[in-house]
Amino acid sequence: MKKLMICLTMLLLLTGFSWSDENRLNVVTTTTDLKSIAEMIGGEYVSVTNICQGNQDPHFIQAKPIYMVRARNADLWIRIGLELEIGYEEPIIEGSRNTRIQIGDPGHLDASEGVLLLEVPTTQKIDRSMGDVHPLGNPHYWLDPYNGRVMAKNIADRLKKLAPANKDIFGKNYQAFIRKLDEAMFGKELVAEIGGERLWGLELAGKLIEFIDQQNAIRNPQSAIKLAGWVGKMRPHQGKKIITYHRSWSYFVNRFNLVVAEELEPKPGIPPSPRHLVKVIKKIKADDTKILIMENYYSRKAPEFVSKKTGITIVQVANAVGGEKEAVDYISMIDNIAEKIDAALK
Amino acid sequence: MKKNYIYLMVLIIILCSAPLRAQDDQQLEKEIEELLAGAKSSEEIKRPAPSSTGRYFQSLNPDISVIVDTFYQRDDSKEGIAHIFEETEGFGHSCTAGHHHGPDEGFNMNHLELYFSANADPYFKGWGVAAVTEEGAEMEEAVIQTTALPHGLQLKFGKFFSDFGRINPQHAHSWDFSDQPLIYRLTLGTHGLNDKGIQASWLMPTDFYLLAGLEAFQGNNEVMFNHIGGDHLSDKSGPRIFVGWLKLAPNLANVNHAIQFGTFFSRGVHQEEHDGNTDGTYDHWLTGHSKFGGFDFVYKFDDLRAYGVGDITVQGEYFQRRKDLTVENHDLNTALIGRDKIEKQDGYYLQTTYGFLPRWRVGVRWDRIGMINDIDLPPGTSSSPDGSDQLALMVDWTLSEFSRLRFQYTDGDYETEEGKEDVSRIFLQLQISLGTHGAHKF
Repeated sequence: MKKLMICLTMLLLLTGFSWSDENRLNVVTTTTDLKSIAEMIGGEYVSVTNICQGNQDPHFIQAKPIYMVRARNADLWIRIGLELEIGYEEPIIEGSRNTRIQIGDPGHLDASEGVLLLEVPTTQKIDRSMGDVHPLGNPHYWLDPYNGRVMAKNIADRLKKLAPANKDIFGKNYQAFIRKLDEAMFGKELVAEIGGERLWGLELAGKLIEFIDQQNAIRNPQSAIKLAGWVGKMRPHQGKKIITYHRSWSYFVNRFNLVVAEELEPKPGIPPSPRHLVKVIKKIKADDTKILIMENYYSRKAPEFVSKKTGITIVQVANAVGGEKEAVDYISMIDNIAEKIDAALK
Repeated sequence: MKKNYIYLMVLIIILCSAPLRAQDDQQLEKEIEELLAGAKSSEEIKRPAPSSTGRYFQSLNPDISVIVDTFYQRDDSKEGIAHIFEETEGFGHSCTAGHHHGPDEGFNMNHLELYFSANADPYFKGWGVAAVTEEGAEMEEAVIQTTALPHGLQLKFGKFFSDFGRINPQHAHSWDFSDQPLIYRLTLGTHGLNDKGIQASWLMPTDFYLLAGLEAFQGNNEVMFNHIGGDHLSDKSGPRIFVGWLKLAPNLANVNHAIQFGTFFSRGVHQEEHDGNTDGTYDHWLTGHSKFGGFDFVYKFDDLRAYGVGDITVQGEYFQRRKDLTVENHDLNTALIGRDKIEKQDGYYLQTTYGFLPRWRVGVRWDRIGMINDIDLPPGTSSSPDGSDQLALMVDWTLSEFSRLRFQYTDGDYETEEGKEDVSRIFLQLQISLGTHGAHKF
């Protein structure tokens, strides 16, 4: 009995230390990219932890007890959605017993709200013989900077709702993030001259290049406008074919007008098979494809085999913040991808 | 005078340039508008506009999944492995006699598992698991669980697996090996501790993971917590089993590692009926209690690579049980009524798996029971037979998240009432899961 009392007292003492700083919102994100955006918008008023590491395959996460402890103290849980977290979200949220972050609560945010989706299956019936298909669309949408803007908007709105006292600060930080992202996308001068919103409007309509040419036709040479940023960098590579390991690059490729000729995985989520690799090798030779993009958590064995047979350049690059030392935040993560692809395609 | 002139000039420039800039801006806006209008009218929009296409609508139907689990099994024993388990020294004959539960040599089916789950409302979630066999369907689980209790509390009602230990709460299809470890198979039977009852658990507000639970069950485990009642044994009202457990996971700084420890204790009513002269009818009856407790741990190394390559799991459980029984009725020797029968046994297993190729794992399990194996019989005699052990090697290939092929080889030395038996077994198992992609528990 005495022992039990000592144990209980110890527990009570321990519990006294676990309450966090009241002024800060406790945010738990599933991925590092969400964490990066939430930090840029929340600034010093949020304390953010993530579940999946930047160099970790987001499809294979274990619902470790430590994640339940983190989620238990969370005011806000942010996920990518589209079933990316299907293998571990439920046991973590349920295991946390946190009644604020259940799906549908203000403390649960699906960042995919309003993002531009690709590869939403249109067949009458999808089934798993098609591999790891996501019935709601390809979940790797954060690799389109446009979606980065939408995610930031979703996060900013939710932070404002949860901490109305810091509304103005979140709003200001959001604007600063958008400005920085737009400048990285189109170049500083172009954003200053035309404005980010307009540029995105043109980009989404596929009229950006036409607009720039049109402007330069009527402007005098001194005030000519020039595409810079990621768009400028990727422009010379428009239409070039690439190979990817997993179907995780669709959004980047779509935004910057590259073409995925083949994937090393025969079907999404199914490891490369020898028979499929032979097909890929033939295709690479036929198309004279120059680069193969892969995340750093996949085995290099199959890519190196393909490279040996074809001479294709392997571009190993992180598609999540923290996956490489260059990818310190959301913007530098995209920057790093554009940089590496550009260097390899030159 | 000259100064004023300059001021005036500056003012004029500013005044003129403002509308000029505004005009520029308007002009630009107009040009963009035109361009965009043109784009919309023609079919040049190459990217879909941001929309809510494909937004998820959570249907109100429950999630449904079905597990089909088939295996081929062979062993080199004379009477089959089930018979050996029945005769294992210190562990056999504990249940109602004549109850052979075990795979046939050749093709077998594990039960077809039908799983339904959904949130009932903002306060409860529920799930049901029907285990369908060739003989019929069994209610494996039927659970009502609270979802909105504060302070990390949760209640569970219905029929469910006790959450003690590592393997007990797991459904057969999520085991790492084709069969149960001996300590589970011989102390709780093929279904583990699964019963009607109530569970209260509390996730404590500590900086590390600390979960405590108390359970009360009706008490119908046929091996260790058996209630027979009737003419020869006193009826005990339920709940007849009480279980308490604690799970603790320290925070490890390195994301590659995770470890969890558990401990539990349980106590429950236990009754036995035996056929001492083997004439086909029961002739003596015992009643009393079983106590059951132990420790478990699991360590997981996550190599962060795709398809589980390099991942390691090490898991072990140690259990001890004690049966305190008294002879309540004896048809052959009434002098024995009121005498005690005390049994004490223990056992453990230690297993590890390693992801050696994308989606391929190997595993080894070492099982041992009966390091303590003391049996005190009613006439006043006692015995301490030797223990049994087995070694299992397995390799499995998880083709996708929804199918798995497994080969297992088990070699055991079993101490039975007819002497030591050395038995080798092989399993070839194929399982698929249809329907909802279930999340994996730690």
